[in-house]
Amino acid sequence: MDSIGLIREFLEERLGVTPEGVVPAASLAELGVDSLMMLELIFEFEDRFGAKLSSGLATPKTVGEMVTLMDSLIAEQKS
Amino acid sequence: MGQRRVAITGLGLVSPYGGDLEDFFSRLIAGESAIHHLLTDDVPRPLSMPFVSCPAFDPDTALGKPLASMMDRFAQLGMAAAFAAWDNAGLSRGNESGTDSRERWGCAWGTALGGTLAYEKGYRELWQQGRERLSPLTVVLGMNNAANAHISIQLGLGGVSMSHTVACASSAVAIGEAFRRVRSGEASIMLTGGSDVPQAYGVARAWEALRVMAPGNAENAAFACRPFAADRRGLVLGEGGAALVLEDWAHAQARGARIHGEIIGYGTSCDHSHLVKPEVAGQIRALKDTLTDAGLTADEIDYVNAHGTATSEGDPIEIAALRCIFGDRASRLAVSATKSMHGHLLGAAAAIEAIITVLALREQTVPPTAHLQEIDPACAGVDHVTSARRQPLRAALSNSFAFGGSNAVLAFRAAMPETR
Repeated sequence: MDSIGLIREFLEERLGVTPEGVVPAASLAELGVDSLMMLELIFEFEDRFGAKLSSGLATPKTVGEMVTLMDSLIAEQKS
Repeated sequence: MGQRRVAITGLGLVSPYGGDLEDFFSRLIAGESAIHHLLTDDVPRPLSMPFVSCPAFDPDTALGKPLASMMDRFAQLGMAAAFAAWDNAGLSRGNESGTDSRERWGCAWGTALGGTLAYEKGYRELWQQGRERLSPLTVVLGMNNAANAHISIQLGLGGVSMSHTVACASSAVAIGEAFRRVRSGEASIMLTGGSDVPQAYGVARAWEALRVMAPGNAENAAFACRPFAADRRGLVLGEGGAALVLEDWAHAQARGARIHGEIIGYGTSCDHSHLVKPEVAGQIRALKDTLTDAGLTADEIDYVNAHGTATSEGDPIEIAALRCIFGDRASRLAVSATKSMHGHLLGAAAAIEAIITVLALREQTVPPTAHLQEIDPACAGVDHVTSARRQPLRAALSNSFAFGGSNAVLAFRAAMPETR
């Protein structure tokens, strides 16, 4: 599964958000991701991809930013 | 500031029968048991015991996914009960603006176990599934004040938000403390009640180890809990949530709210002698304090919803305390233990029983102790109601006597006819 797929699945399962609305420009806050849900989403990502997000990183604001962050970590993991 | 009368304007619960409040009471009146046989798929030793569950309760449907996913089941049951009570009181959800500020309205909630299930899930993941870390939500799911915190957020209550953990008296204390705040004028509305989920594996096993749990199988589980009966075998645990809206009488009248009944007294005590062996003297103190607090004499009480868990030791002590308080009139005092039907909800027990007591007064009908055929001579001396009975009821008590020796009693009065 790719990053956007994981985000879509997570938001549908946890918040009942329809996957069609989870597009790169969408604001995570508007989709219902508050600071706690963000922690849980990062946890889920780390779990699935065996990656570790540095706690010093700026918190992504949009789905697109989250995807970019996740993709870069996955790439790092592979290199 | 003078003392206010305190109206009960909202009642709500998650019914083990699956229906609404009226359905719940009508089934109790019919003597119908909600107890079933619980058989889990835990390996290697499943839970197998009489139990009360709320199988029709779907948190995603009741609360919506975003809210439900932030809660452990005890908070889900509590939130659903609170919403039901709030709707029942005719109050709007969410933060109100305007004249009727909710900044001083509060929530007092009872739970014995809190989010034990969330922690149990954590243990299972760490120890059984070999995982190395837990969901970051575990703390906010597991904390004992999760239910009241969610309730205060969802209903926009800006005053005190607190949880009370006093074993089987948790929600009696929560209701009593909420009552005092409305009576004093500190809050014109308090949402109160309790919720608990005792089917955490470790919790249910721990109760089994105490040897106070009634045995039963798929055929006879419904009749497993028989308070005051000669053949009683112990208590039956259950999950649930129950909530009440307590409101300043004048406030309730001003907005034209339906008043189900009045809460008039609250008394507490501690046996200060033994953790699990109840004592007559301690229970008498709580009963006397409650009557004094309510400004009533024992002669004005027409019904007692007993703590009545169906343990060999607890039931006779409670009856002895009632006989002492009610004297010659004890034999004519209607008493019933509805745990025979809805089970023992631990921290939610007093809340569900408070609702039943209020409905008994409102409907002028005493619900029965189910499955009580032969009364234990040690429990004799009061008027055990074994099938529902209509009779004039002016005021009633609801007893909660907890492990730890903590006793709490609530007193209620039927709403005056002109306010009904």
